Amino acid sequence: MTTKSTPMTQTIVVIKKELKDWSRDRRSILTVLMSSLLAPGIIFFMFNSMASRQRSVEDITVPVVGASHAPAFVNWLKQQAGVTIADGPQDPEEAVRSRREDVVVVIDEDFAKNFAASRPAQVRLISDGSSQNARPKIQRVRQMLQRYGGEIGSLRLIARGISPVVAQAVQVEDVEVSSAQQRAAMILGFIPLFVMLSAFTGAMGISTDSTAGERERGSFEALLVNPAPRITIASGKWLAGTITAWATVAITATLLFTMFRYLPLQDLGIRFRLGTPELLGTMAVVLPLAPLIVAIQMYVATFAKSFKEAQSYLSFLMMAQMIPGMMATMNPTGTKAWMYYVPWIGQQTLLTDVLGNKPIAPLVFVVVGVVNVALAVAAVRATAGLLHREKIIFGR
Amino acid sequence: MIAIESLHKRFGEVRAVDGVTFTADDGKVTGLLGPNGAGKTTTLRMLYTLMRPDEGRILVDGIDAVTDPQGARFALGVLPDQSGLYPRLTAREHIEYFGELQGITGADLRNRTDHLLKMLDMTAIADRRVAGFSHGERTKTALARAIVHNPKNVLLDEPTNGLDVMSTRAVRDIIRRLKGEGHTVLFSSHVMQEVSALCDSIVVIARGKIVGSGTPDDLRRQTGHDNLEDAFVALSGLEPEAVS
Repeated sequence: MTTKSTPMTQTIVVIKKELKDWSRDRRSILTVLMSSLLAPGIIFFMFNSMASRQRSVEDITVPVVGASHAPAFVNWLKQQAGVTIADGPQDPEEAVRSRREDVVVVIDEDFAKNFAASRPAQVRLISDGSSQNARPKIQRVRQMLQRYGGEIGSLRLIARGISPVVAQAVQVEDVEVSSAQQRAAMILGFIPLFVMLSAFTGAMGISTDSTAGERERGSFEALLVNPAPRITIASGKWLAGTITAWATVAITATLLFTMFRYLPLQDLGIRFRLGTPELLGTMAVVLPLAPLIVAIQMYVATFAKSFKEAQSYLSFLMMAQMIPGMMATMNPTGTKAWMYYVPWIGQQTLLTDVLGNKPIAPLVFVVVGVVNVALAVAAVRATAGLLHREKIIFGR
Repeated sequence: MIAIESLHKRFGEVRAVDGVTFTADDGKVTGLLGPNGAGKTTTLRMLYTLMRPDEGRILVDGIDAVTDPQGARFALGVLPDQSGLYPRLTAREHIEYFGELQGITGADLRNRTDHLLKMLDMTAIADRRVAGFSHGERTKTALARAIVHNPKNVLLDEPTNGLDVMSTRAVRDIIRRLKGEGHTVLFSSHVMQEVSALCDSIVVIARGKIVGSGTPDDLRRQTGHDNLEDAFVALSGLEPEAVS
């Protein structure tokens, strides 16, 4: 019989077989679909709920009790952008307590009399401080009331020939740190993590099935009797896993970037762009990482006797990988030069730069890529070494 | 042709294979007979290069399987003890996968695959995924992929274990056919009938040692038992100390 098998052709044979096997595995296909839909889904949901909360502050309906006591004041309120005035409920305090209303304005019946006499005219603001959702609205109404008071006060001073500035001893400028924009920016910070995790989940199918799966089924023995060197078999499995990881990354990133066109970013006052250059940059960062992820997964999974055992090893690995990413997101201070060259942390840092439109030297991309691929090759060699161990081949 | 010389393998304190020597000739069926745990599988694993002997020499068609396992594998077709299949692949894909790993391609591969499927009477199930196969169908698939490259030497570890009558027959037919084509066939079994029905030469192994070998007639003569089963029991020392 003709034997013209070379390590190259044997590797391709293994790649083809593993991909065929994988594509028929409904479980791994589902995992890929779910994981690539999950990230865009979560971000989309969070942004929309934040934007709708923001909108709820912009367009408010204020119930007013005793509007007839102060028609001029109520008219001023009506002229404020996004404000609608409604008739107040019979029992305002009960209405707020039972959460039927977030806030009710009650105008005192002596309002006009006191106002005309330049005495403080009374307006009661009824609210429930324990209601989280009502807080922005309450704040907005209070600010409006204070502004009205301020405007009238200034006019009275001017009428008496005094500059209103004199009455303003201290000027307070609000700088809100935990604003919606800040929170939105934090969610955007998770994008690199999501894209990198998609490489992880995309590779898991082949990484576990072609190692622990072979052990569980007892098919390693027959496979390794073939005259194909262990490194050839390990390489084929590794490259097949890499291809599925790449496919998952491409799908996830494309979905994320498509979804971004439909995010209500304007409503949140965010100027953040995700276009084709950012998409390409993301690919350039994550694609060289995938081979390393696959190689490490395979090495770890080869120690497992069963598919399930391998999956639990890999979920630990996944959590371990998330730690530096989380830390970088929570504590986004110093980016140190060494960070770029550490796998995973480096990609995280690079992606943050890419998405933040920071210029990056092409050499950094190249070096990071080369470091990853070199480490991946080392891990594949180590896996091939494991395939020589009798405990791995025969141990079920 | 396979020649084994004083093969040793030890797992911790246990001497699993303790100085096994025998040869299996071309055009002959050699049976490795022994009770469970005698060292049959370990011997075969060393022979098909996945286990390294502590001592001893293995020659497969003159190639030293210990120093050149890669070379020996080209000359070997193996149905191992664990012959797991890939549930999502079809029978034909299994045969083709191993054929391609052996370097067979194109029309060669197609012809050879069709030939094996026909020979094992598997044409009807060739394109079904093996997930739903019976034990017999699985064994036949594993056997077909093991000999896709038409190897000179065929090793079968308990090939008929757990098979029904029809599948056992199919496997026996294959063994006879391989013998007729001049292959070296070495198979292990703990079933006397199996061995006596097929073998030209029998090697009896017990507790890691060869306790008898030769043709069925030789064995009967050696032990003084007319019945081959009695001969086997006597040789493997399974008999309780008889009060004669």
